[in-house]
Amino acid sequence: MDIGKCWDFKDDEQPPYPTIEVTLLSPDRKTTISPKVDTGFNGSLGIGKETVRRLRLSPRGTILVRTATGHSEVPVYVVGLSQPDLALKYTTLAIGTERSLVGRRLLENKTWLLDCRERRFCIITRPGPKQGFGEVLKPT
Amino acid sequence: MFKAEPFRSIDLVEKLGYAAGYARNFLSQATRQGLLIAEPRKGRKEKTFRANPSVVKEIVLRGGKDKEELLEALRLHSRYPGEYVALRGFTVVDHDLDLYRLGERVLPDMEGEDEIVITNVGIPKKAITIEI
Repeated sequence: MDIGKCWDFKDDEQPPYPTIEVTLLSPDRKTTISPKVDTGFNGSLGIGKETVRRLRLSPRGTILVRTATGHSEVPVYVVGLSQPDLALKYTTLAIGTERSLVGRRLLENKTWLLDCRERRFCIITRPGPKQGFGEVLKPT
Repeated sequence: MFKAEPFRSIDLVEKLGYAAGYARNFLSQATRQGLLIAEPRKGRKEKTFRANPSVVKEIVLRGGKDKEELLEALRLHSRYPGEYVALRGFTVVDHDLDLYRLGERVLPDMEGEDEIVITNVGIPKKAITIEI
């Protein structure tokens, strides 16, 4: 198992939380942010008000999202997303959130290491062999 | 009621039962407010009116009750319940249960033009969930 790029946890709140650095692009602006990795968010990207302002994004719709307390209507934006370490570069829909978030849709189909002792979140570049309950592991 | 179709003052009188004077005032006020577009009829003094498609975008972005009423008036609740739709004016350009799948298809058009808006119709069957 090889560990690739790691991103440090942010500790501006307790307990510290995992982040990933992403670069966001609008037609005439570019900014790099470190959104919180939120595995409770099943979407791709949530962008906070400050980032929306910096990129001068205009909403391209509104949708209803489900939150812990019920439903809430949020704006939808079109934004370019780039993350070279994950080989990501595409235009996507992002929703307006209180703070910027990366959701499960952006994490899916990859193997991750959530290292709470070293306070880092890493991409696993070469996962080890799949091990199931039924498999017999040969001694090395 | 008329969606994107042009209509005359008399249509409003006949369909809604408004008095002719009231209908004329209503139409002229709605035109001044940019809700309707007035167009002269070829060879006739009388104008036709049609709803301004940019109002759809404005209402979708405003959200809330106005959006729900608009989607209901366009009968989208019965046609696309629980789906996400992309609208250009009064026309549904595309629809899908999955927001991102819809996005993948309409994004090339959305980047080129400003008029397309995306919204949900009722409670989404595949809702985006945020726990914090």
